[in-house]
Amino acid sequence: MQKILSDRKAILLFVGPALLIYVVIVLIPVVWSVVYSFQEGTLLSGFRFVGLNNFGKLWGDRDFINSLVFGLRYAVFVSTGQIAIGFLLALVYTFYLKKASALVRTILFFPVVLPTVAVAQMFTKLFEITPQYGLVNALLDAAHLNAWIQPWLGQSSTAFVVIVIMDIWRAIGFYGIILYSGLLDIPDEIIEAARLDGAQQWKLVRYIVTPLLRPVLVTAIIFSLNGTLKVFESVLALTGGGPGNTTMPLTLYMYKTAFTVNQYGYGSTIAIFLTLECLLVTLFFYRFARRDIA
Amino acid sequence: MKTNRFLPFMLVIIVMSLLLVAAPPATAQDEVVITYLSILQDDVGFNRVIGELSAQCLTDMPNVRYEREGINLDALGQRIDQLALNNNLPTLFSADSGPQLIELIDNGYVLNVEELFTELGIYDSLNPAAAAIAAAGVQGRGLYALPLELNIEGFWYNKQMFADHDLDVPTTWDEMLAAAAVFHENGIQAFALAGREKWPITRYLAAYANRVYGADAMVRVRDGELMLTDPGFIEAAQELKDMAESGYFGVSPTTLDYGTALDLFNQGRAAMYYMGSWELRSFNDPAQALIGTENIGYFNVPLVEGGEGTLEDFSINVGTTTIISSAGYNETVGEWIRCVFSQYGDHAMNTLGMITGFNVNNPSDDLPQLTQIVLENLDTANNAFLWWEAYFNPRASVVAGDNAQLLISDPGYTAEQYMTDLQAALDEGV
Amino acid sequence: MSSKRPTQSRAAQAVSVTAWFKNPSRWVVAVGIGLLLILALYPIIWLLLSSIKAPHEFNLRPIYALPEGFYAQNYVDAWTSGKFSIYFVNSVLVTIPSLALILCMSVAAAFGIEIMRWKLKNKVLLLFLAGILIPIQMVLLPLYTMYYRLQLLDNRWGLILVYTAFGFPLSVFLLTGYLKSLSYEILEAAVVDGASIYQVFFRIVVPMMKNSLLTVGLIQFFFIWNDLLLSLTFVSTTPQRTIQAGLLDFVGRFGQREWGPTFASITMSVLPTLIIYLILNKLVIRGLTAGGVKG
Repeated sequence: MQKILSDRKAILLFVGPALLIYVVIVLIPVVWSVVYSFQEGTLLSGFRFVGLNNFGKLWGDRDFINSLVFGLRYAVFVSTGQIAIGFLLALVYTFYLKKASALVRTILFFPVVLPTVAVAQMFTKLFEITPQYGLVNALLDAAHLNAWIQPWLGQSSTAFVVIVIMDIWRAIGFYGIILYSGLLDIPDEIIEAARLDGAQQWKLVRYIVTPLLRPVLVTAIIFSLNGTLKVFESVLALTGGGPGNTTMPLTLYMYKTAFTVNQYGYGSTIAIFLTLECLLVTLFFYRFARRDIA
Repeated sequence: MKTNRFLPFMLVIIVMSLLLVAAPPATAQDEVVITYLSILQDDVGFNRVIGELSAQCLTDMPNVRYEREGINLDALGQRIDQLALNNNLPTLFSADSGPQLIELIDNGYVLNVEELFTELGIYDSLNPAAAAIAAAGVQGRGLYALPLELNIEGFWYNKQMFADHDLDVPTTWDEMLAAAAVFHENGIQAFALAGREKWPITRYLAAYANRVYGADAMVRVRDGELMLTDPGFIEAAQELKDMAESGYFGVSPTTLDYGTALDLFNQGRAAMYYMGSWELRSFNDPAQALIGTENIGYFNVPLVEGGEGTLEDFSINVGTTTIISSAGYNETVGEWIRCVFSQYGDHAMNTLGMITGFNVNNPSDDLPQLTQIVLENLDTANNAFLWWEAYFNPRASVVAGDNAQLLISDPGYTAEQYMTDLQAALDEGV
Repeated sequence: MSSKRPTQSRAAQAVSVTAWFKNPSRWVVAVGIGLLLILALYPIIWLLLSSIKAPHEFNLRPIYALPEGFYAQNYVDAWTSGKFSIYFVNSVLVTIPSLALILCMSVAAAFGIEIMRWKLKNKVLLLFLAGILIPIQMVLLPLYTMYYRLQLLDNRWGLILVYTAFGFPLSVFLLTGYLKSLSYEILEAAVVDGASIYQVFFRIVVPMMKNSLLTVGLIQFFFIWNDLLLSLTFVSTTPQRTIQAGLLDFVGRFGQREWGPTFASITMSVLPTLIIYLILNKLVIRGLTAGGVKG
C-alpha cells in the first residue's frame, strides 16, 4: 500500500500539470511584479532600473492619494453595509421566518450570481437622467418628488452613493447565508437557557449570539474587505472612474496607469501597495479574532 | 459503470474544444493578404472609400485579398506595441502622431510616405497643406501618416432655431453666449456636448485659447513660451465653466456619449454643436440628420474681444491617420497602394462628399451643400491649429480630459485649479 | 455538542403561531423583508420586461410601464449588429474548456496531494492555497507582458490558460478538503485486489467525488462566465471578445441611443447564470458560500 501511494511517477503525473501551469501563470508573475516596481519603461522600448523612484512617487501623487482615500471610504461603507444587513438577515432567517425562509433566502441570494457588468449596466439605466429619465428619476417624477431628481451618476457625491448601494444590494444575500450558517451552529441549548433566564431579543443578540458568532463574523468581514478593497469591475462598468477621476479606486487607477498612460513600472508599484494593504487589513482582523478566543 | 464514461467524456470535450478553438483560416500559398487595422468600426468614411476602391483595384489582381479589422481607440496603442514587437504589424493601421509613432519610426517599423509615394509616382495626389499637418506630430521626421481625412472644426447650428428666435450668426464669443442665453430662456439646450468622451469638452478650451493668443497658442505652450496658467488660458477655462453652470450644455453633460450628443443636435434638441467636419457623414445623411441637411449651418469659432485670433484661423486636423508598415510591404502591396490612393481624393469627394488630404482632380458638380461650405471655408483659411491635447504627453492628455469633466460638473473645482494641475502634468515630462 | 440542523433551530420554533401576529416587531420584520424582496427582484424583472419593448415605447411612455408586446427585434439586433453572437459563442468556447481543464487537473492534483504520500506534499498544498490570497491585480501586468512576448494575447487558448491557472487555488483547496473524509479501507481493498494507483483514482475516487466536482464546477463557472478583468486585459479584438467585455463595449457605443438592444444584451449576458441558478439554486448557494466560509 505504502509503495503504491508513494509512486513518484504517479505523483508527478497527478500533481505536475496543475503545478506547472500554476507556477508559470500565477507565481512567477507575482515575483516579476515586484521586480517591475523597481523599473520604468514601455514594452516597446524596454525597461530601465529606477530603484525606489516609483515608491517615492506614490506619496507625492495626488491622484494616488485620492484613489486610496476613495477606496477606503468605499470599503468601509460597503463592507459595513454588507455585513450589517447580512447579519440582520441571518437573524431574521433564524428567529423569525420558518417555512418561508428557504424561499426568501433563495430569492435574496439571486443578485450574487449575476455578472458584475450586467448589474452595473442595469443600475446605469436605473439612475439615468439624460437623454431620458431612468427608472428612479421616472418614479420620483411620478411621485411628484421632482426636487430629488438629479444626475445621479454625473456628480461624484451621488455617484458614490449609487456605487455603494449597488454593491451592497449585490452581496447581502451572500452574507445573509454565510452568517446564517454560522448561526445554525450555535447550540440550541444555549439559546434556550438564555431565554429561560429572561434574555429578550436584543439582549439575546448582543450578549449571546454575537460573541458566539465571532469567528464566522470575522471571516465574513475579512472576506468582504478583501473584495471591497479590490473593487474593479463594478466601478469600471458604472462610472469608469468618473466624473473626472473622483470615483477611482486603486485597482482602476493601477489599470489606467499601466495601460493608458503606459507606465508599467509605476502601475506595478500601485499593485504591490494594494496587495500589502489587503494583507495588512486581513492580518489586523485575524489577530482581532484570535485575541478574544484565547 | 459510470466511471468508465467520465474520463473519456472529458477527453472528448477537450479534443472538441481544441478543434473548435484552434482553427486558423487557411491561406493559399501565393495569396497576398492586405490587412488594415482601422479605428473606425463600421463601413463608413475612409473605411468605405478604401474598401470600395480596393474592390475595384483587386479585380485586376487575383490572389490578393483585402481584410479590414476595427479596433477601439482605447485598445489601439497596446495593440500596435504588441504587433510591432512581434514584427507583425498589419499592412495599414490607424495611429495618432506622437511618442508612439516616433518610436515606431525610429525603430524602422513604418514606411516614409513621401518616399514611398514618390517611388510609386503618386506623390502629387497628396494635398501639400494636409501633408504638412500630417507630418507635424513627429518632430521633423517627415511624412509617415496618410491624411485620409481633412477636417475643420467649428460650430454647426440649426438654422431654423436661429431664425425662429431672430438670431444672427455670431461672430464674437459674446454674441454666441447671448444666443445661448436666448435659447436657454426658451427651454432649448444651447449646445450639445458629449461630455462622457472628455475630448469634446477640451475642444472649447482650445477654441477660446486660440482666439486669445492666436493660432500658435498650443505650440507656444509646448515650447514653453506660454504657460497654461497665463490669464488667457484661465479665462478660457472660466468661460467654459460659466457656460456649463448657466446650463447651456444641458443636464449632466458628463454622462452623454458621442452618439447621443450627435443625436441631440441631429434631432433638433440642441441649437449648436461644436464638432469636426468628419461628421458630415451624418449631417449629409437625411436618415440621420432629422432636422434636414439644408437646415444645418456652420460658423467658425467666434472672436474673443481683444484677442489675437482671426476668423481665418481654423481648427484643422487630418483625423486619426493611417500608417504603412514596413513588414507588410511588398511589390504587390505597392501596386495596390498606387491604385487605391491615386483615386482616393476623387472617390471620397464624389461618392461621399468627404473632404480628404488627397487632391481631387475631377470634382463632381453635384457636391452636397455642406461639403461646399466646408471647402469654401478651407479656401479662406490662413492658419491652422490643432486640438487641445495634440502636443501633450500621455499623462497630461489623461489629466486634461479627466479634469475637464470636473471643471464642468463640480462647482468646487476652479479654472485656476484646472490649469495648474494640467501645467504640472505637462512639466512632468514623460 | 452543537446540534447542527439544516432547518430552523428548536429555539426559533418555540415561538407559537398566535404570538406571531401579536408581536409588532414581526410586522416590521415582515415589511422589511418584503421590501428587500421587491428590491432584489424588481430590477431584474424590469430588465427583462424592458428588453422586449419597442423603441417608441422608451421615448413616449414612462420607463416603468409594462411592455406593449413582445418586440423580439431587440434581441435580433443585439445578436447580429451588436455582435453578441460572437461574444456569446466566445464565452462558451472559453468557459467549457477552462472548466474541463480545471476539474481534471485539480482533482488529479488534489488526489496527489491529499491521498498520496510524499515529502513535499504539504508545502505544495500551501503553495496552492496562497493563490487564494493573491490579488489578480498583482499578477496582471507581468502576465500581460509574458503573453505579449509569446503572442498569446487575443488568443482563446491564452485566456483559457489564465482562467485555468486562477481556478486552481480554490478548486484544489475545496477538493483536498473533500478528500480528507475519504476512508482508506476502500482504497486498501482495491489495492489488495490488484488495482494500480491510476485505476484507484479513475474507478474509485473520482466517481465518489462527483458531487464535489459539480460544486467546484459551478463555482468556477460563475467566476469565468462573469469575469471582466481578465478577459478585458487579455483579449481586445472583437472576434475574440467574451460576453462581459462585449457588453461593456456594446453599451459604451450604443448604450444611450438604443435602450432596447442594450437591455436585450444585458439579459443575454445574464441568462445562463439565471437559468443555472433557477435549476440548481441549492447547489449553487452551497457551493458559493462554501468557498466563502472556508476561505
